[in-house]
Amino acid sequence: MARLQDLYMLGVTAPVVALKKPYYFREILEQMDYAGPGSFSITLLVALFIGMALSLQTSAELTSIGFNMYTGKIVGLSVIREIGPVAIALGFAGRVGSGMTSELASMTIEHQIDVIRVFGVSVTKKLVAPRIIGSIIMLPLLTVIGDFVAIIGGYFIAVFTFHQSGPLYWSQIKEMITLENFVTGAVKPFAFGYIIAVISCYMGLSAHGGAKGLRLATTHAVVFSIVAIIVIDFILGRVLLLIFRSA
Amino acid sequence: MIEFKDVVVAYGKHVVLNRLNFKAGAHEKIAILGGSGRGKTTMLRLILGLVRPDDGKIFIDGEDITVLSEVHLRDIRQKFSIVFQEGALFDSLSVKENVAYCAREYGNYSEQAIESQVRSLLKRLDIEDTIYQMPEELSGGMQRRVAIARSLASCIPHIMLYDEPTTGLDPIAADHLCSIINELSSGPPSERPGLIIVTHRVRDAAIVAERFMYLTDRIAFDGGIDELKATKDPELRHFVNELFCG
Repeated sequence: MARLQDLYMLGVTAPVVALKKPYYFREILEQMDYAGPGSFSITLLVALFIGMALSLQTSAELTSIGFNMYTGKIVGLSVIREIGPVAIALGFAGRVGSGMTSELASMTIEHQIDVIRVFGVSVTKKLVAPRIIGSIIMLPLLTVIGDFVAIIGGYFIAVFTFHQSGPLYWSQIKEMITLENFVTGAVKPFAFGYIIAVISCYMGLSAHGGAKGLRLATTHAVVFSIVAIIVIDFILGRVLLLIFRSA
Repeated sequence: MIEFKDVVVAYGKHVVLNRLNFKAGAHEKIAILGGSGRGKTTMLRLILGLVRPDDGKIFIDGEDITVLSEVHLRDIRQKFSIVFQEGALFDSLSVKENVAYCAREYGNYSEQAIESQVRSLLKRLDIEDTIYQMPEELSGGMQRRVAIARSLASCIPHIMLYDEPTTGLDPIAADHLCSIINELSSGPPSERPGLIIVTHRVRDAAIVAERFMYLTDRIAFDGGIDELKATKDPELRHFVNELFCG
């Protein structure tokens, strides 16, 4: 319970202290570079194969009942609203989140964090806030790119394997780009980026006990991030549905 | 200047410090001896407010630091410098950037002024040539000296804290480091910066300190070098003899 309280405090105080001087622009840029371009290739690969797999299963099933013209619609809806943000966030937690945790855990165990505190520098401001900002900027960007690549992957399977009409596929994708779908797909990565960074930083800063402590911190960070992503995905999905469907 | 009153620290069910009482003046040269896991490093971290005791009070210059927030603790920490075990250098930064860390954080100094300050500190510790090297390229002894330079760059300390500074060093490097530590706290007893060194090496302690404490879960011994050598306490006797022989 106390750890949950500390995690909550870190999540609340980090964005607040980030707004006060001094600003650590260099650290923010470093974190954006690590989280964004550094994750680009894995995001493309994951997104491409998710789009292809989704299109494969959907086309196969719809073809058997004569509704294969809806492949684009189902792929677009699934990728933009659910699978794209969640899958890319899971990959982000595995690559960027675990990296944040292991770096901070190593600094904690080797007393580098203590040195920073002794120098009177705020660890939350200097180390945590730039990681949160880097994540909430880069994860949405990666998600937009990933969604696009997944849709292209779906197109290849639908058109070249199941011989569906390309223009029909794209027209159905266009139909899926509605305000509701756009907002649903855009809000989630912000929330995921924030929670992954907060959990990863907290686990890193609370690590103790040498190599075993580092391993435990990293494992906990990834596991809790995955659980948090899935839970938040459901909660946000429900809330956004209520907002849009009641409007 | 430093006072511990009935300080208790436990990690889970393991009580590390049990009703510890301890006083240290500003200009004293103190060695805290003790085996592994006895809470020596914890004592230093308590002095700096990096950990809070589970019970008891800690006073620095009469101010109870156990109730201070992280922001207020910054003023207290300015009175100390610390060199952690293994140096705790920032491994992604060069020697120059490590030593210049505080200057960059707080000062609005020119690059030339920073370089000049860093060079002067490194020269004082006889490692000026390492200025552009990375920590991983340095020997253990050099890393500790860079850590000392970095701690001196942050403030003019009233008391310098050393956490097992000679661990992992060969005897020659350890002696050299001890002589540097000694020199940094030299001067008239009423003016020199004090020092607290925690170590399990009595030989190193004997070079730098004038007052010796033996830590179990409380201070089991407190005295000068002659009293230490003449101690009848079987555990301390064994501990001291073994280390002198080693």
